[in-house]
Amino acid sequence: MMYEFKVSDLAEEFGVHRNTIRNWINAGTLPAKEGPGRKYLMKFQDYQKLCEKFGREPHISPANNVSAKALGALEVSDVAPLEITGKKSEIAIDPSWADACLTCGTCASACPISGVDGLDPRKIVRMAALGMDEELVASNWPWKCTMCAKCEESCPANIQIIALMRKIRGKRARAKVPGPIHKGVAMCLERGNNLGIPKEDFVFLCEDLGQELAEDCCPGFKTPIDVHGARVLVTVNSKEPFGEPDDMKWWWKIFYAAGESFTISSENWEGVNWGLFSGDDEAMKTVVGRIVDNMRRLNCKVLLLPE
Amino acid sequence: MNKWYPEVFNEFKVVSVFDLLLEYIQEGRIQLDKSVHTMPVSYHDPCNYGRKSLKAFGKAYFEEGRAITKACCDDFRELNPNRNGAYCCGAGGGAWAMPFSEERVYYGRIKARQIVESGAHLLIAPCHNCRDQIMKSLIKEYDLNLEVKYIWELVADSLIMPNKQ
Ligand code: SF4
Ligand code: SF4
Repeated sequence: MMYEFKVSDLAEEFGVHRNTIRNWINAGTLPAKEGPGRKYLMKFQDYQKLCEKFGREPHISPANNVSAKALGALEVSDVAPLEITGKKSEIAIDPSWADACLTCGTCASACPISGVDGLDPRKIVRMAALGMDEELVASNWPWKCTMCAKCEESCPANIQIIALMRKIRGKRARAKVPGPIHKGVAMCLERGNNLGIPKEDFVFLCEDLGQELAEDCCPGFKTPIDVHGARVLVTVNSKEPFGEPDDMKWWWKIFYAAGESFTISSENWEGVNWGLFSGDDEAMKTVVGRIVDNMRRLNCKVLLLPE
Repeated sequence: MNKWYPEVFNEFKVVSVFDLLLEYIQEGRIQLDKSVHTMPVSYHDPCNYGRKSLKAFGKAYFEEGRAITKACCDDFRELNPNRNGAYCCGAGGGAWAMPFSEERVYYGRIKARQIVESGAHLLIAPCHNCRDQIMKSLIKEYDLNLEVKYIWELVADSLIMPNKQ
């Protein structure tokens, strides 16, 4: 809590001259800052210390309908009061948010993880408006948020909360991106899929699965890898060939039943763009560009987005 | 893709899983057997196909997924709230792959409650993340009596295979 005072009042309270108070402030022995309307601000605790030092009772207490004695010792809070520095946020997408956001908290009540780590979307928006960029980038909260957009959907002021979350994520040093997401992005850029599965393994696996499917229920089925002129190009979520290869067969079975001509590329077949999650636009663009290249190379008519 | 390669839309068509499945169903290219899934079924609206798609492209896939599900099953029930107001499964935004699993499970509590209230024994999830979260995490954590399938898995399992060859 901050204590607001006029130099003359404080001087009177302590029986000293106004200049003395000013000198204390200038010398830093009285840690106060200039506030609005020719008043000064200091932490209430500092005011208390000052009183203690001169053996005086504070003339106000934080809850002034309760006597200071009944209240007992003030607990020392370890959170420094926020100072508004007028610092411009590089994260806040629109400076007018400071006014546009009504701090109504609708977003916070829509968000399933409000309260986790003491944060919620309303606070995140306000922190951005206040230029607390460092705190935001350091916080894990924007990574726990699933970018589900419930908050944004309910916001009466149309604040772009999701774009804000992505921006915060994008500002974090890439090495500090939690979990495998950034590694996946790097891997995808280097090897063409998030998990770094080599081309031969992928092709072999697909053909093997195709054979199984043919024996099982789709006689004559052969996995179409790199088929030029197929109508539909299909991308793959790398967790499937990696951990649940059989899951790829459902689509193939449908294509088979529908008599569709489709194909899978042997390279750059990743369909999941983790750049979206880590807030990395450049990476996202490269990955999308490669899919476009595949479409052109194989001369396909339709691109099926994976999920 | 809209943003970086607008020119490709003249070159080829981009379709979602819903567009393609519906096309097959409506054009009669695939036949479906409703007797395979007789249990009560519900449908989870993934954030990316619904709410966020609505905002980004002005088009949300709410009804398509339902139409496909209903083409496979008779006993269809809604989760509440649904469509634009639906709750996220808790694993979006890459959360499935991140180290904050307690938070992720906590997040999913609302989804789990919705599923129980709907009385569904089969839940259709059109998205990899949602399906993994619900199937591999929420069912265990919240003791759900539930099966989860991708929407294309549902279709594949309902297929009446044509007599080819
Ligand atoms: S719902 Fe919108 S206006 Fe209300 S607090 Fe959240 S961001 Fe601000
Ligand atoms: S997008 Fe993030 S902040 Fe918004 S409701 Fe979903 S989890 Fe909460």
